[in-house]
Amino acid sequence: MVLSDQEVQFFVNTIKNSSGYDFSEYSDKSLKRRLQKILLDNNSDLLTLINKLKTSKDFLEKTVKDITVNTTELFRDPQIWQTLKYRILPKFAENRNINIWHAGCSTGQEVYSMMILLNELGLLDKAKIFASDLNTDALDAAKKGNYKYRFNIGYLDNFDKVIKENPFNYEEYNDVPYSKYFKIDKVSDSIQMSDFLRQKPIFRQHDLVQGGNLYFAKFDLILCRNVIIYFKYSLQNKVFKLFHEHLYTKGYLVLGMHETMLGEITSKFEKKGQAYRKK
Amino acid sequence: MYKALVIGGSAGSFQVITRILSSLPKNFPLPVLLCLHRLKHVRSGFVEALSIKSTIPIVEPFDKETIKPGKGYLAPANYHMYIELNKRIALSTEEPVNHSRPSIDLTFETAAQAYRDKLIGIILSGANRDGAYGLKKLKQAGGLAIVQDPNECQVKTMTEASLKLTTVDHIFTTEQIIKFLLNLK
Repeated sequence: MVLSDQEVQFFVNTIKNSSGYDFSEYSDKSLKRRLQKILLDNNSDLLTLINKLKTSKDFLEKTVKDITVNTTELFRDPQIWQTLKYRILPKFAENRNINIWHAGCSTGQEVYSMMILLNELGLLDKAKIFASDLNTDALDAAKKGNYKYRFNIGYLDNFDKVIKENPFNYEEYNDVPYSKYFKIDKVSDSIQMSDFLRQKPIFRQHDLVQGGNLYFAKFDLILCRNVIIYFKYSLQNKVFKLFHEHLYTKGYLVLGMHETMLGEITSKFEKKGQAYRKK
Repeated sequence: MYKALVIGGSAGSFQVITRILSSLPKNFPLPVLLCLHRLKHVRSGFVEALSIKSTIPIVEPFDKETIKPGKGYLAPANYHMYIELNKRIALSTEEPVNHSRPSIDLTFETAAQAYRDKLIGIILSGANRDGAYGLKKLKQAGGLAIVQDPNECQVKTMTEASLKLTTVDHIFTTEQIIKFLLNLK
């Protein structure tokens, strides 16, 4: 099934007119692909889908969830977590509080990665963790902190790289057991995050398109990884402005491995790898 | 007359792609879009390995990066690489397609939409069927479809699947591919 740009536009307009969601500044290619997948999964043509969107609020909410991409991993890209561990988080060690916002946290693996890292650095108690996503199903999964073991098994290597090893000193090895943070049950194929981690974050639904500050707080660190790749340049810039506004001076914004800031806004940050520090 | 070259490969394609990239003239007139499967644990180092021999610069592009001639763009590990109509790269972490991320099908299909009949596509050695559908889309959009001679491939699955699905323009050995690319103006 191949959709035309006009058909995708028709879909976007329907959603916009029937709800508060606006996908008009989402990246064309992935939006079209997601829509094609939804039509295929529903065994539906576009007109039928549009009619259902107009008449059923529940169906619209479900479709919005299906449009968003929800892939995330524990300690995805270990080098970024090593940067956080050795270069960024130690800068906040003397703070009374450390405010961290995971914008677009999806099912929460990186929220747990952050808390584990903070705990190893002795900073978890002074940290306030905020995590938001558009997709409430993803947020529910994040609150549960229960993940498929087999699917995530490769990421335990990432845990070892970030938590146990020191890339600057090969003789250093901290044998932190996984059980300190999560319980692995191979039979039921599950990784269950410990309660002391689960209870910590404040999870809230938030749409980056709408902007606004949902926590009425400023942040020392914002992580927004592999979210803005689904946005057009114009929306990316709006989101960067939002982050800039809600970061403390000298606070950090960390993006995905292959995401970058372009245009005028770059002058307001100092870039070091994937970390942008507010000037 | 062509505006871009897109190459897909999997198991057994590394030496072939290295050979091709080391043979291109420094002022090769087209951008080279590379979608190559890699082993799961090989997340970094691949672009460096290709760069050692390549005559043109090879990068793992950023999302929204503008595509320029004479430069190679390697789909980053664990991302799909799309080509937008405005000739920029778009990355995505959506589900793997045919167990593959990056998916050769997706890179080829979107490159075909962006470059239409100004695109050359080459499928190399590989152990799965990814790329066959993408090459078909490329051909349907008027592009030039080339497949590495299966007799020369370390693993034939990918090239044979492509040949089954599409009547291609050329079945070339590595040396013939290089000769063809050197003659492009």
